[in-house]
Amino acid sequence: MSQESNGIEVKGLVREFKNGPRAVDGIDLTVEPGEIYGFLGPNGAGKSTTVHMLTTLLPPTAGSAKVAGLDVATEGSKVRKVIGAALQEAALDPHLTAREHMKLQTSLHGLPKEERLKRGDELIERVGLSEAADRRVGGYSGGMKRRLDLALALVHRPRVLFLDEPTTGLDPQSRASLWTEVTRLSAEDGVTVFLTTQYLEEADQLANRVGIIDAGRIAAEGTPAALKSEIGRPSVEVVPRDPANRARSQEILDQFGTAVPAARDALGIRLNEGIDELVGIVRAFDSANIELASLVLNEPTLDDVFLAKTGRHLEGAGEADSAEMPLPDGETVNA
Amino acid sequence: MSSAARRAYFSSAWAVAWRYLHNLYTKPAVFVPGLIFPLFFLAAFAGGLSSVSDVPGFDYYDFTAFQFCFVLIQASALAGVFVGFSIAGDFEQGMGRRMMLATSNRSAIVLGYALGAALRLIVVWVIITGVSLLAGMTVRGSGLDIAGMYMLGLLANVAALFFSAGIALRFRSLQAGPLMQMPVFIILFLAPVYVPQELLTGWIEPVAKVNPVTALLDGARSLLAGEPTGLLLAYGVAFSLIAVMAVWAMRGLRKAEVAG
Ligand SMILES: Nc1ncnc2c1ncn2[C@@H]1O[C@H](COP(=O)(O)OP(=O)(O)O)[C@@H](O)[C@H]1O
Ligand SMILES: [Mg+2]
Repeated sequence: MSQESNGIEVKGLVREFKNGPRAVDGIDLTVEPGEIYGFLGPNGAGKSTTVHMLTTLLPPTAGSAKVAGLDVATEGSKVRKVIGAALQEAALDPHLTAREHMKLQTSLHGLPKEERLKRGDELIERVGLSEAADRRVGGYSGGMKRRLDLALALVHRPRVLFLDEPTTGLDPQSRASLWTEVTRLSAEDGVTVFLTTQYLEEADQLANRVGIIDAGRIAAEGTPAALKSEIGRPSVEVVPRDPANRARSQEILDQFGTAVPAARDALGIRLNEGIDELVGIVRAFDSANIELASLVLNEPTLDDVFLAKTGRHLEGAGEADSAEMPLPDGETVNA
Repeated sequence: MSSAARRAYFSSAWAVAWRYLHNLYTKPAVFVPGLIFPLFFLAAFAGGLSSVSDVPGFDYYDFTAFQFCFVLIQASALAGVFVGFSIAGDFEQGMGRRMMLATSNRSAIVLGYALGAALRLIVVWVIITGVSLLAGMTVRGSGLDIAGMYMLGLLANVAALFFSAGIALRFRSLQAGPLMQMPVFIILFLAPVYVPQELLTGWIEPVAKVNPVTALLDGARSLLAGEPTGLLLAYGVAFSLIAVMAVWAMRGLRKAEVAG
């Protein structure tokens, strides 16, 4: 099949749980073949539910979705042949070793016997688990489990890969190595990647395009750069050294932009024009003889985008835990 | 199915069975409980309690053999129940999803569990039959009779397996364990366990009379004694149970699929 058919097309997708919320409330999205699509949203936004529908684990209540040109509702068995998925809760058997997991996974996929061992070893090597390959997974760290789960998802050379919060709870180093691997899959192997995350930087740095989901709806979609420039101009935060100068400082700032919420002690504005105005601001404070303890320029972030679209900050917007609190060992409280 | 597709199908099924058996082997806690009760029964009755057979009216040829039939049905049914435990555990652990994602044709998963369950059952049979023979059980039935007796054990196994799988698929958690185990235990003990049905008195007598397990036990005992009677009833009951439980299990499967 051609590369062009490796995308994802979702129209009006809905999932309503019995006695539960409308977890996914009519989403439309398109993922181009070979791109990394970042599905960004707080806990409980509907990311996993979407992934489960796209991977044929959960039938949609309404709407349609095509993965690699195949309908997830009516062509499930064909869809499963061309997709790989590492779900939020890495389903690993603590009593099996990495190599035994590979044996299981390659057999489940029906790889020819001769290929199984070779493919398994190759992938274990690729995710850097060769030394631990014969140890039981129960003793693995969170990062090792994630990497094994990713490797397992790749045994049948899927054309579309789903990763549900692959780095939640990981330390920065493990996160970085996973990013490298995902980038490589997309760039070198042409795999389309649908990746969900609660982390802004992850969506920002890893994804070609980002869909922001909140309460089951897509709040915004586009490249990280486009989304940020849509929000527009950077903001500036200043802290006057002498708190008595706050009022005058605000007056000066007001000439350059409109006030935005800022950290305690600080005053913030969104610049009217752009960073060229920075020089003017510094000069104005200088000629007013107001000393500044700090002056910070903030480029818009995806959090600003989220704030602008939903009225809330992404961090802490979720149901229960905050995205800022990775739990040890890759466990998450998200169900 | 093309030959490549068929190979892939059986490869998936075998993978499911392999993991199931591998689990039994690495986690004795999963395998042993289903054997403990039957073996306990054998030990108790082959020893001191066998004086029960002196009760007037007890006319079976060998008390150990009489008990063996109960133990066979019990062990077979419990082996089926514990497959339900494995299924519930797999869903709880997320392994169910891994299997559902990795198999193009999902009926291979069912076949895999069935294969694993059958192999487990054979091991259980070998153990309890070996222990009974060592305890001095004598066999009167012909080869065909004995095959028919084990067949009844297999049918009890399949019925219990479908029953517990139906629960496992609805709850998808090991917490449903007692719900799978208790009803099977109860129905087994409401059958003529220690003495033939004719010797039962009190409230249990009418209960045992309508208990489908009674028909299975009587059938198995008559086969072991080489005087087959009531087989039509025994097999009829067994197949009806399986038919009902199969529907129960299939509905559970649909529920599991829809719930994600
Ligand atoms: N099986 C289920 N039954 C009922 N409600 C569910 C189920 N799965 C998820 N939900 C609810 O649906 C919403 C979306 O959940 P989910 O897709 O897991 O969010 P995310 O992955 O973005 O954290 C949440 O409110 C969650 O509680
Ligand atoms: Mg989730």
